Amino acid sequence: MKGGIHLKPALLMVGLYIFFKFGMPLFTAPLPASLIMLYLMLTFSGIMIFMTLSGTSMESFLGPIFRFISGDGQDGTMKMARLAVLALFPLLVGWQTYTSTASSTAPPAENRTVHPAPPGEFAAMSNPVPNTPENVMQGKGLYAAYCSPCHGLFDGKGPASRGFNPPPANFKDPTTIAMLQESYLFWRIKKGGVGLSVEGMPWKSAMPRWEFELKDEQIWKIIMGEYDGAGQKPRTWE
Amino acid sequence: MKAANQRLEWKWGILAGTAMAAILWGVGPAWAQESVSIRAMLTTSVPADDPTASAWNSVAASQFPMSPQVHWPTRIQEVTVKDVRVRGLHDGKQVAILLEYDDPTQDPDDAAAIEFMVGDKKAHFAHGQPMGQVEGGPVNIWFWKNKDAKALDMNAKGFGTLKVQDQQDLKGKGVYQDGKWKVVFSRAVTTGDANDTQFKPGEFINIAFAVWDGQKDPASGDLKEKGSQKAVSSWWYFRVDPQPDYTSYFYALLAIGLAAGFEFVIIRKLRKGPSA
Repeated sequence: MKGGIHLKPALLMVGLYIFFKFGMPLFTAPLPASLIMLYLMLTFSGIMIFMTLSGTSMESFLGPIFRFISGDGQDGTMKMARLAVLALFPLLVGWQTYTSTASSTAPPAENRTVHPAPPGEFAAMSNPVPNTPENVMQGKGLYAAYCSPCHGLFDGKGPASRGFNPPPANFKDPTTIAMLQESYLFWRIKKGGVGLSVEGMPWKSAMPRWEFELKDEQIWKIIMGEYDGAGQKPRTWE
Repeated sequence: MKAANQRLEWKWGILAGTAMAAILWGVGPAWAQESVSIRAMLTTSVPADDPTASAWNSVAASQFPMSPQVHWPTRIQEVTVKDVRVRGLHDGKQVAILLEYDDPTQDPDDAAAIEFMVGDKKAHFAHGQPMGQVEGGPVNIWFWKNKDAKALDMNAKGFGTLKVQDQQDLKGKGVYQDGKWKVVFSRAVTTGDANDTQFKPGEFINIAFAVWDGQKDPASGDLKEKGSQKAVSSWWYFRVDPQPDYTSYFYALLAIGLAAGFEFVIIRKLRKGPSA
């Protein structure tokens, strides 16, 4: 097959790129772009070594490429293609240089930890209020009065939520209270956004520090009402 | 004749191009979208006390959503202003920030404010209140009220600590038109006052907004929004744009030259053959 000598290595490179970029993430974490680049460079080196092992294989592999670049005996489409490649290469290099040296107009990226570790005194707490229908109902009443303006119907979309960044937590989302213990919620409600550690960016949180307005018992009831209303179960040590 | 036709086509091309540019220029800034930052663009003259100056139309507005202040007592559950649209301009010496928002009534107690962090420490967006595990810094608040017809330069570090600065460096002016407030705040890019936020061209800093609708309740005569009962935003980003930097164009040209030279050498080498 004519051109097969170039087609196979090209297909190998493209195939490997697709595998590293899209295939690998199916089994493991996505590979960094620099690692994919390194793998492709190794593959390319391998292809070059293989193709230049003998004089004949080198001539059949590199010959057509060299003739295309030097423009020997070309006319028509090939001539145009060569000129296009020769013109595009410097422009591409120029563009790459421009984008990598131009100053950014984007604000700094924020890397906020959504659930930073609670202080030690909260980690081992357990809910002292019995989980009775009456207590759950009282908790839901307190939730409606104190929490629902922002957290809404347990979905984080209350009428006061729209201006806040980070947005109020959505308790129906399986990555919020379902993966946290009751003691974690107790800490977050009692100490509020300002109680977060530095990686939680406390200066941005609008969560009130409820210890000034609610008794501990009321907070525990709210937690029970919250889990019940959101249809979630607290995480336990098992 | 052919040449004349070509010239005509050129004219149409220029006309279409100009129309397209005019549309992008004129209409573009009106399409305000939810944003994360505002950049004060570099200009030759800053409309420091003119909220209606045509210069404002030359920059795109950033739009930020507002929430009722529910973070600390006394809370409010519903507020008039749902969004603020913000623009910025500077000339290297003066910086001006224009807030624009919908308010159905013009009232003497209508007010608006901009908040910044002061110094290197992060400050909580609610008046720089103390944080549990992080040592916070103070905030600088620019406060404008309709009936005062001026802006006040203030500081706070926690609730109940709001204080008007001894050194006032601000200008502020509001104009009410067609159900909209346009309020411009302006100040020197840098001041000698350690209580003020300082703008370094090219550097993003945090910014937040607050708005009070000064309408009175018809039954009680009390103000609907006052003090901590206001519309607030979260922290977003603001920067004073730096002087244009052309070095990356220079680097790109240099790279194009090098790449073309590389091609030239390779082709010459290939044409001369392996013996060369």
